[in-house]
Order: sequence, then C-alpha cells, then structure tokens
Amino acid sequence: MFAFLHHYYPVFVQGTAQTILISFIGILIGIGLGLCFVSLRRSKYRLFQYIARLYIAIVRGTPSMIQVMLIYYGLSKMIDIPQIQFLGSGLDRLIPGSIALGINSGAYTAEIFRSGLISIPRGQTEAGLSLGLSNRTTLYGIVMPQAVRNVLPALGNEFITLIKESSVLFYIGVQEVTAQALGVGGTLYNFIPPLLVAAVIYFVLTQLMSLLVSLMEKRLGNAYLKVPE
Amino acid sequence: MTKHIIEVQHLKKHFGKNEVLKDISFTVKPSEKVVIIGPSGSGKSTLLRCLNRLEDDYDGRVIFYDQNICQAKTTDLRLIRQRMGMVFQQFNLFPNKTVLENITFAPIKLKVMTADQATQKAHELLKQVGLDDKAAAYPQSLSGGQQQRVAIARSLAMNPKVLLFDEPTSALDPEMVGDVLGVMQRLATNGMTMIIVTHEMMFAKKVADKVLFMDKGVVADEGTADYIFNQTSNPRTKEFLSKVMLSS
Repeated sequence: MFAFLHHYYPVFVQGTAQTILISFIGILIGIGLGLCFVSLRRSKYRLFQYIARLYIAIVRGTPSMIQVMLIYYGLSKMIDIPQIQFLGSGLDRLIPGSIALGINSGAYTAEIFRSGLISIPRGQTEAGLSLGLSNRTTLYGIVMPQAVRNVLPALGNEFITLIKESSVLFYIGVQEVTAQALGVGGTLYNFIPPLLVAAVIYFVLTQLMSLLVSLMEKRLGNAYLKVPE
Repeated sequence: MTKHIIEVQHLKKHFGKNEVLKDISFTVKPSEKVVIIGPSGSGKSTLLRCLNRLEDDYDGRVIFYDQNICQAKTTDLRLIRQRMGMVFQQFNLFPNKTVLENITFAPIKLKVMTADQATQKAHELLKQVGLDDKAAAYPQSLSGGQQQRVAIARSLAMNPKVLLFDEPTSALDPEMVGDVLGVMQRLATNGMTMIIVTHEMMFAKKVADKVLFMDKGVVADEGTADYIFNQTSNPRTKEFLSKVMLSS
C-alpha cells in the first residue's frame, strides 16, 4: 500500500519542511501580534480597545481559508514579491501565506494572553508599582511571566491548531504536506495512502509540539508551584 | 527642609457616588509612627493607598518632602514610590521568584544597586527579619508570617523614608502575628517613619506616636496613644475601642 513512498518520499520531506517553516513563522508572528493586540485591548484609550476588538472579531468570525486567500491576492496586488522558489513553492506564496497564518493566530493568542493577565491578582501589579517600578517593568517583569506560565497549556493548544490549520495554505499553492499528498494522490489515482501519510506527519508534528510545551511548563513553573510538606 | 515628611491636606476621594474619604488632613514627622485605626469600611486602606497613589483621582494634596504627589509626573511618582515602601495585607510576594529575587528585583531593575550589592543587602535584610535561611525558597513554601516578613524586607531594600503598612497582620494565622509585629516593633525602635493601618490595638498602644481614629471617611478622633486609649471623651472612639478590646 505504501510502496509509493519509496519513490515519493522526497516530496513528503519537502512538504513537511514547508509545513514546519510556515507554522514556525506563523507562530512567531502570532505571538508578536498577540502581544501587540493584548496591549491595545487593555489600553486605557477606547480607540485602541476598539481596534483590538475589531481585529479579534473579524479573525474569529471569518473562515481562515478566506482570510488566507484575501491576504494572498491582496498582497500580490500591492507588492511584487519575487517568485523565487524555496522548497518547491514560490516566495510570493510562502510569504503571504505565513503572514496570513500569523494574523489568524494573533487574534487567538491575544485572547489567550488576556485571559492569562486577568488570572494574575491585582496585588502583583500594586506590589511592583509600590516599589517604584514602571508600568512596563511591572507588566513584563512581574505579571507577564506568571501569566504566560498560566496560559502555556492554552498556547500549546493554539500552536497545535496552527500546525494543522497551515494546510489551508494549499489553497494558495503553497506546497506543504497536504498539497503534496493531494498531488501524489492525483498521480497514483488513489488518495487514501498519501493522505494517511500526511495525517501521520501532522500527528507526529503536533505530538512534538505538545512535548515541547509540556517541557516548557516544567521549566517555567514547577519550582514555584510546588508546595513542600 | 520641612519638618514634616508627609502632609495630607483636605484629601477627598470617592468611588462613584460613594464618598470614601471626606476631607482628611494630617501630618507625619520624621521617625513618627502614625497608627490608623477604625471600623472596616471607614476608609483607612483607601487613605493609605492615596499616599503612594495606588488610588488615583482624588481631591486635596499629599505633600511628600515638598513634592505634591497628586500632581507628580509618572517619572517623579516612581521616584517617590521608591522612597515610600508599602507592605500589603496579602503580602503580594512574586510567586515565580525566590525570596532573594523578590528582594533584589526592584533595586537591580531600577539600577540603584548592582546585583552584588542588592544580594548583599537582601541577605542583611533577611537576617534582620530572621529568614536568611529561606533566601533560596519560593514564597509558596513559606508560612504567611514568613511571607510577610519577606515582604517587609523587600520594601526595605529600596531604603525608603517611610513605610506604609496596610493591615499587615490581618491575613495571618494568630500564632504568626507576633513575629511580624516583632519585626515592625524593631523597625519602629530603629527610627523608621511608619504609617500603619491595623486592628492590633495592643501594638498600636505600644508603638504609636499618633493615633488617627477614622470613622465613615473622616478622622473622627486624633491624638497620642495615651489620649486615644485612655483619655478620649469621643463616644465613637470609645465605642469602637470597647468592641475591639473585648474581642482581643
């Protein structure tokens, strides 16, 4: 059943590399946007709050497939990205695709960060401020590290979702795992085996991600959450 | 130099329609111990929190060494807060930092000390509060009384001119209260200027140079410890004291 792999495995390796690449960039952009928009959302200025709410509402309320296509066609109209080939796809597709994934993930990440910040008692901020620390130092030096620790499981969930969701980039012609599997299926006139291979690849990637997150959880928190006696 | 470290003039604060502080005035001299007592809801904690502007948007003036705190810019306010330590009812130690890091975090971040100096200072302070053996521990592994003593050490690390105590023993198990009050007593003896909101009347009696009795947002009675506890003829003060003295 999987004899085709002998011939086609380089295609899957390439696809996997692309999935990892776009997911990685998407996660990075998502974290950055998440941090930005959570600050806007918690700003004392109504306009900033409104912008953040609007962004989150639009991203959450529309299909990611449409978001990806709109960003791809929109960007390609506005700027001319060179069609350099990288791991089997043009940069003109890879770059807008990764950005789209990041923009999508950013909305969810912002909400995750916000729930983390809410979970930290006000007294932590007050303790920081009363020592003469700035708002920024108090937020990023005291509150954020605790908040991130509290939301790591939810963040892990979001990263895993993003890895799987990255398959929507197939629609704009990024040759990631799903696209490659469908391509191979087309040549074989049999889609099931290559799709199973793709599924296994996603499974392994998401398992690795959850392993990574649980390692981070251990590193970031167990020491102080453990109460001896 | 003024002879007062803090001057509170006609302080008024309301939350919505609820007037919490109605025209409060008092002064604090260097090394003076001012104890604020009164029933819950009388505005004691709010008053204390107005002093370092954890509560904002109030009327009146709070003068700290010739500086009007109410109108201080953010950068000035931070400098003021560095010289005005605060100890909270709930300790508010940073749970993700060790005892030592809790104490050294602010002095290092604010660049008032090098890491080595801050660490050395932290160990000295921990010795003062009897907890040097806990330097590497995380707050959650300490008892409430120990946490509060660390919190006092933390606020002392910035070499403050004044320490504000917001019901420092109210969240403690009874057997822990003595240790914390002991540390505060020693600070008082060493000449630290302190403003203390507390329900510990025996402590107030022993330590206070001045007692403010607050009731319904005003300073209803004011005087030396001896006056408030033995001589006052104010019926509200007497009623309050008879109630709290009975329970302790």
